[in-house]
Amino acid sequence: MNWEIVLLFVAPVICSLPIAFYWVKEPGSDRARKLPMLSVFGLFISFVIAIHILLTYPNGTYTIPWLPEYNINFVFIFDYLSKYMGALTAFIAFMIGLYGLEYMKHDYRLGWYWFFFNMFTASMLLVVYSDNLLMLLIGWEGLGLASWGLIGHWFRDDDHLSYVGVVGRKVGPLKMYWPPSYGGWRAISTIRIGDMPMFFAVAAIYALTGNLNISQIHWGVLFTKIGLAGTVFLMLCFLMGPFTKSAQLPFSEWLMTAMTGPTTVSALLHSATMVAAGTYLFIRLSWYIHPWALHAVPGVSVLYYIVLLVGLFSALYGASVAIGCLERKVLLAASTMSSLGLMFGCAAASYWYGKLAVLIAFWYLMTHAFAKATLFLVAGHLIHATHDRFCCGDLNLAKKMKTAFIATIIATIALGGLPPLTAYWVKAGMDTVMHHIAETVGSLPLDLLLITSLLYSAFLAKFLSLNFWKGDKYHLHLHGEKLMPFAYACVVSMVFLLLYRILTGTDPLAETHLLEYGLDKDSFIVGLGVTGTYLFALVVPRIRALSPIGTFLGDRMYLPALNDFIVPSIGWAISKLIEYTHKAIDWFCHFGLPDGMLGISRRIRAIQVGYMRVYMKIALAFVMAAIVVSMLGWL
Amino acid sequence: MMLLYVLLLPFVVTFLTPLMKPRLATAVSAVAFLIPFAYTIYGLASGLVVKIPVADVVHPIGRFYILGDQVSFSFALAICIVSAMVALYSLPYMAHRFEEMGRELESEYRKYIFFYNLYATSMLWLVFSGNFIMLYIFLEISLLASFLLIYMYGYGDRRRVATLYFVWTHIAGMLALIGFLMTAAANGSLAFDAIAKIGFVAWLLIFLGMIIKLPGLGPHVWLPWAHAEAPTPVSALLSPLTVGLGAYVILRAYLISPWFIKAYTMPIFVYGVVSSIYAGFMVFRQNDYKRLLAFSTISQMGYCLIAFGLGTYGIMAVIIQYISHAFGKAILFMTAGGIIANYHGLRDITKMGGMHEYIPTISNAALLGFMNLGGILTVGMFGEFFILKGVVDTFGLDISTILAVVFVFIISGLYSFYTYKRIYCGTPAGYEKVKVNRLLDTPLFIIGIVSILLIFPPLAAILLNAVKAVIAKVAIATIGGVAP
Repeated sequence: MNWEIVLLFVAPVICSLPIAFYWVKEPGSDRARKLPMLSVFGLFISFVIAIHILLTYPNGTYTIPWLPEYNINFVFIFDYLSKYMGALTAFIAFMIGLYGLEYMKHDYRLGWYWFFFNMFTASMLLVVYSDNLLMLLIGWEGLGLASWGLIGHWFRDDDHLSYVGVVGRKVGPLKMYWPPSYGGWRAISTIRIGDMPMFFAVAAIYALTGNLNISQIHWGVLFTKIGLAGTVFLMLCFLMGPFTKSAQLPFSEWLMTAMTGPTTVSALLHSATMVAAGTYLFIRLSWYIHPWALHAVPGVSVLYYIVLLVGLFSALYGASVAIGCLERKVLLAASTMSSLGLMFGCAAASYWYGKLAVLIAFWYLMTHAFAKATLFLVAGHLIHATHDRFCCGDLNLAKKMKTAFIATIIATIALGGLPPLTAYWVKAGMDTVMHHIAETVGSLPLDLLLITSLLYSAFLAKFLSLNFWKGDKYHLHLHGEKLMPFAYACVVSMVFLLLYRILTGTDPLAETHLLEYGLDKDSFIVGLGVTGTYLFALVVPRIRALSPIGTFLGDRMYLPALNDFIVPSIGWAISKLIEYTHKAIDWFCHFGLPDGMLGISRRIRAIQVGYMRVYMKIALAFVMAAIVVSMLGWL
Repeated sequence: MMLLYVLLLPFVVTFLTPLMKPRLATAVSAVAFLIPFAYTIYGLASGLVVKIPVADVVHPIGRFYILGDQVSFSFALAICIVSAMVALYSLPYMAHRFEEMGRELESEYRKYIFFYNLYATSMLWLVFSGNFIMLYIFLEISLLASFLLIYMYGYGDRRRVATLYFVWTHIAGMLALIGFLMTAAANGSLAFDAIAKIGFVAWLLIFLGMIIKLPGLGPHVWLPWAHAEAPTPVSALLSPLTVGLGAYVILRAYLISPWFIKAYTMPIFVYGVVSSIYAGFMVFRQNDYKRLLAFSTISQMGYCLIAFGLGTYGIMAVIIQYISHAFGKAILFMTAGGIIANYHGLRDITKMGGMHEYIPTISNAALLGFMNLGGILTVGMFGEFFILKGVVDTFGLDISTILAVVFVFIISGLYSFYTYKRIYCGTPAGYEKVKVNRLLDTPLFIIGIVSILLIFPPLAAILLNAVKAVIAKVAIATIGGVAP
C-alpha cells in the first residue's frame, strides 16, 4: 500500500524528468521528441493506481510520517469523494496526455510542457487524496505554479494563435488582447492573492486546534470558540483560496486569459484540476464540517449564505459572458466559471438542505469534468484544423470531422441539462435543492439557478452551431490525426457511464435520489425550457441586432479593468510615492550629509590660513561678543 | 572535537588556496565547505550540542568557546551550501570579470579566492562563536574581506560604494560593540552561558546596530548600492548570508535575554511590516537586475523583523526564513551574474525580455530562486507557515495584523513573478544564444534542489525538529494567548 501511494504522485513527475533535462541538452532532436511517451506512461501509472484505489481500497486514512513532532503528517484519505475524484483526475489527465502527444508534436518547448503537465496532474492528485491541510497546500501551490508555467508556455508571444482577444483592439485605456506571458502573470498574481489568506487560515486552524487533518478537526468546537466574527473571517480567508482558484467573482479574469496556454492545458485546467480543486476543496470541507448540523453555531449560516450568493452570481456572470463570446476557448472558459459557480452554490446550500446537496454538487463536478474536457479537446482539434481561435465551420466541416461533431453534440446535450442525458438528472437535483431552501433564504438562489441554466444550454448550442453548422468561413488543414479523436471519444463516453450509474441506482449515496428528482414534474418543466433555449440557439446562434449587448458581454462586462487598470494604477501610484521617499533618504545619507560635512570642513579649514590679521579679527569678534553679552547681563 | 576540525578545514584552506591554480583552488574551496555542510546535517539530525573551549580572555570579556547548537547548525547549513556553490560559480564569473578589467586571471584569482574564503569562513565561524566579542571579531573580518572584494572588483563607482558600505556596516558594528561592552561591564563576562541579563541601553544599541546591518527601513539605503555594485559572487554571499547575520545576532541576544523584544513586540512588528512593504513596492520600480534583487533582500529581511515579535513560532520562522532567503537570493544573484557574464555586463532589465530563449537553464534556475522568495514548494513555505501561526498565537484573530502580514507575503510573490515575466518571458530581445558554462548554472540547481528537498521527509523533519529544540531551550510562555 505504501509504495503504491507514493508512486501515484511521484511516477508522473519522475517520468517527465528525462524530457525536461534532455530537452535542455538537445532541444528539438528526434530522440527528445520520443521522450514524451515516457511522460504519458507516468500518467498511465497514476491512472492504474487511481483505479486500483477506487476499486479495492477500504475507506479510511493512511499516514506517512512527515513532521510527527508537530502533529503534521502526510495523511491520505480514501473516501467516496477522493476515490471518485482521483480516478477521474487520473483518467482525464492520461487521456489528455495521449491527445497531447499528437497536439504538441511540433512544439518548441516540450521539456517545459511535459514537466509542468505531469506536475500539474501529480499536484491535483495530492490535493484530492490529502486529508492534511499543509500537505494539501503543497499540492495547491504545485497547481498554481504548474498552471502558471503552462499558461505562459508559449513565452515568446510570437504566435497570434496563442493570444486571447482581438489583437490590437483597445477600449479606452484597456488593451483587449493578452499574450501568453501576460496570461501566466495574471494567473499567478490572482492566485497568489487568494493563496496567502488561505495559508493564513490553515496556520490559524493549526494554532487554534493543533490539528490539520480535515476529517479530525472538531469544526463545530472551533467555530464556537472563535465566535461569529472569527468564524466568518477565518473561513472567508480560507475560501479566498478556492474562490481565486475556481475563478469566482471578482477573481475570474485570470481564467479567461488562461486560454493563452496550449488547449491541452485548458482542457486539464478546466475539467479535473486547478479550477476543480477549489470547488472540490469546498465540497470536501463541507462534507466534514457538517454545516447542516451546526445551526446552533453562530457564523456558519452567514458564511454559507455568502458562498451561496458568490457562487450563483458568478454562475450567472459566467453564463452571460459566454453568451457574448465568439472565441472558442474563451466561451468555454466562461462556461466553466459558470459551472463552478453552480457547484459552489449547490454545495453551500447543504447548510439548509443537508449532505445530499454536497453530493449533487460533486456529481455535477464529475459530469462537468468529462463534458468540458471533451469540448476543450474538440476546440483544440478545431483550432489546429482551421488555424483560427474564433468560432467558424459548417456542415461540411462536420462531415470531415465526424468524431469531433458527434462528441460535441453529446457533450453539449449531456452538460446543458437536456433530458434524458446526465446533467439533466444532476440539475434536477439542484433545482430541488434550491426550491427547498427558497423557504428559508428566499427565491433569489432559485431564480439565479434557473436563468443560468437557460443561458447555459443556449451558449452550448451556440458553440455547436457556430463550429459545425452556421459558422463563418474557414480554411481546413487536416493532418490525419488519430490520437486526438480517440482521446475525446473516450472522455465523452464517460458521461454515459455516469448516466448508467444514475439510472440503475447502484450507488447507495446519490443516484437513487437523483432519479427521483429527475422524475419530478417541476424538474421536467425546467428540462423542457432548457431544451427550448438549446434548440433556439442552435438555429439562431447569432442575433446581429443585439451585437452591442453581445460585445459588452463578450468583453466580460469590462471586468478586465480591475486586473489591468485599477489595481495596477493604485500599485504604481504607491510605488512611485515610495520611490520619491527613497530617493530623498538616499540623497540625504549619501550626498546631502557627506557634501554638507565637506562644506563645513572646508569652512573651518579656510579659517586656518596662517595670517595674523585673521586671528586678530576672530579674537576681536570674541571680545565684542563678550562685551555685548555682559551689557545684556548688566541691563 | 570533530566540530573543531570541521571548522578548521575551511580556515586552513583559506590560506592554502592562494598557492594553487584557479581550477584546483575552486574545487578545494567548494569541498572545504561541503564537508561542514554534511556535518551540519549530521549535527541537526543527532540533536548535537557541543561546547569547545578556545581561550580564557581577560576579566570582563570571559571565555571564548565554540558553541555548536541547533541554532548554529541551522544557520551554518545555509552558509556552507551557499558558500560552496558560489565558490564553484566564482571561477567562470571572475574569469569574465578579470578579462573585462584587463587583468591576468591566475595572479588575480589568488587574491580573490583568499578573500572569498576568508569572507565565507569568517561567517561560518561567526555562527559558531560562543562569545559576543568572538562574534564581533568575525563580524569585522567578514566586513573587511567583503569590503576589499567590492573595492577591488566591484562595478560602477566601486571605490566610493565600497567606502559607503564600509562606513555603514562599521557604524552597525560599533553600535553593537558598545552594547556588548556594556553587557560585559554589567555581567562580568560575554560568554553566552555566563550572561544573566542584557540591560536596556545595551540591548537598544545591539538592536540598532543590527537593524543597520539587517537592514530595516531608514538605514537600508546602503544596501542597494553595495549589493548592486559588488562583483556578483560577492553579492551572492552578501545578500543571502551576511545581512541575515544581523538577525542571527539579535536571535542570540534574544535567546539569552528576551525581554527587550518581548517588551517592544508591537513597534518591531510594525517596523518589519512597513520595511517589507516599502521595499516590496520598490522592487517593481527597479530596472537594474541586481539592484532589484537588493531591494527584495530588504523586503525579505522584513520577514525576520516581523517574526521576532511572534513568540516561539516566530523565532523558528526567523531561522527558516534565513535559510530560505539565503537559498533563493543566492540563486537569483547568480542568475543575474549569469546574464552579466554571458552578455557583457547586461543588467538593464529594460533591455531584456524573453531571455528564456537564450539561456533556458539560467531562466529555470531563476524560477527556483523566485519560488524560494515566494515560499512556493520550497523551505520558505515553513517560514511563512510559522510566521502566520506566530501571528495568531500572539495577536489572536486580529484582522489588521493578519492582513498586514498576508499583504507582505502577497507582495513578495507578485514582484517575484512580475520580475520573472519581465526578464525571461515575452518577445525575445534579440541576443545570440550562448553556451552557458556548466559552473554558471549547475550550482544554482544544486541549491534549488536542496531547498525543495527540505520540505519533504527526511530532511524536513531533521531541520524542523532541530528548530523545535530551540523552543524547548527558550521555554518562553506564549505571549498573548489564543483568540478570545
